[in-house]
Amino acid sequence: MTASDAITIEQAAKRYGGLQAIAPMSLRIKKGEVVALIGPSGAGKSTLLNMLAAIELPDTGTILLDEKTTSLYRNPKDLAKKAGIIRQQFDLVGPLPVIHNVLAGKLADWGFWKSLWSFIFPQEKQAAMKALERVGLSDKIYDRTARLSGGEQQRVALARLLVQNPEVILADEPVSSLDPARAKDIIQILVSLAKSENKTLVASLHSLDLAKMHFDRVIALRDGQIFFDRKSDTITTEDLTQLYQLTEQKQNAT
Amino acid sequence: MKHTRFKIGFVRGSLLAAFLLMITSWMYIFSVEDADFLRLFSEKNKQFTIEFLQNLAGIGVENPAFTNAESWKSAAVLSFKTLVMSVMAVGFATLGMLLTVIPAASTAASGMLTLSRTRYGWFIYGFIRLFYTVSRAVPELLWAMIIILILKPGILPGAIALALHNFGILGKLCAETVEDMDIRPVRSLASSGASKPQIFLYGIFPTILPKFISYIVYRWEVIIRTTVVVGLVGAGGLGHEFKLSMSWFHYTEVALYLICYVILVFLVDLISEGMRKIAQR
Repeated sequence: MTASDAITIEQAAKRYGGLQAIAPMSLRIKKGEVVALIGPSGAGKSTLLNMLAAIELPDTGTILLDEKTTSLYRNPKDLAKKAGIIRQQFDLVGPLPVIHNVLAGKLADWGFWKSLWSFIFPQEKQAAMKALERVGLSDKIYDRTARLSGGEQQRVALARLLVQNPEVILADEPVSSLDPARAKDIIQILVSLAKSENKTLVASLHSLDLAKMHFDRVIALRDGQIFFDRKSDTITTEDLTQLYQLTEQKQNAT
Repeated sequence: MKHTRFKIGFVRGSLLAAFLLMITSWMYIFSVEDADFLRLFSEKNKQFTIEFLQNLAGIGVENPAFTNAESWKSAAVLSFKTLVMSVMAVGFATLGMLLTVIPAASTAASGMLTLSRTRYGWFIYGFIRLFYTVSRAVPELLWAMIIILILKPGILPGAIALALHNFGILGKLCAETVEDMDIRPVRSLASSGASKPQIFLYGIFPTILPKFISYIVYRWEVIIRTTVVVGLVGAGGLGHEFKLSMSWFHYTEVALYLICYVILVFLVDLISEGMRKIAQR
């Protein structure tokens, strides 16, 4: 283990009842790496990301987040500084104005009274404004979040993550409900933000083009195991065909 | 080719059932109960009705109540008291509901909403839900009769009786609203480091507020109509005076109170409609 590891997974496994979601696996992700996680549905991508975010703990083995085992992050406010997760746009509070959803990233730093006061008179507006500018939504700061389009809502979620400012950004299929143009746009913003702020990014994706185009390293999961783990420019079409091959066909072939 | 059997299905079945019910019900009313609608319109009943309406309208009555400024003034005071009773009732009910609604949601008891499961969560849930059931199972009128035995007759016992019944109803409706809430935003707030009070303020409160307001003002509409019923057993306000005037045969006063009552109901409906529009803009 080197000092520059953001994430270290050592023989971590997770089981849901009879289903082996993650078979024992080991993995290292360095600080500042931009990693795409691909694989067919049910391969364990979400489970892995939830374990990295310490929302779930592995049954066996350990996951280190910045050299500290995830089970030791007792205080959610400390954890929020280490890792932040972005999912599909349904994670925002629809009836609230955009600015409150962005400032929700500050809740880890604020006490209750400050958040109550901010609910009436938004505090640290500069931080929210700056984040919204970076995702290109500064004109919608007081709009009702539910009125924004899917792509815009996902930008708001990105702005919240910017305000939260975690060391590791985890993205669980952040663009799966967007059209290809919006998806590309969001991924571009996400990757460029991670790179300019020197953050570690792990994003699960269904679009292989996006993974190859924007990410340095691609980790493919299949049946809870690492199928391959390579630099994105060395991945061939054949690798992908094998990865996504339906189980029925595989059985027929053998 | 496979032969598909004829199936009645749900829609066709219920239509048929409704049709059958209608026929048998009317048959029962006419043949078994031996109803005679014509008898309702007999000469005697007609005479009584006309007399009552004339009394209400104050025909042939010296100094009818609704032409008397003094009577209007006392009726206005009574109307205001009735309004105060309804506002107190809905206020108490809402307060009680707000204090209990979160632990009364099954999503909170299971730990899904608050993201922490406690050992006593389900126990508290069951206890509050039982409380809701009991308080709404007893009608306002019975609550009023019980409470007036304990307290002196007046507006306060009426308000408490109405509040008790509506507390159970509001609690159930609002707890179900909380249960139906999308919990993804709440989970996401939790993972960005928000504490429980912060999650409530930013995640739960704005999401449930419009529905809560619409339930609360709807119950207020119902309460203002029911104030008369609890008034009958001595809980004060328009209903109480209505009953007294009725038993003293002061029919013009009865007419006056009816007018005030209709205005009151109309007013409350108007306000609640406006509030609902604001809440769901």
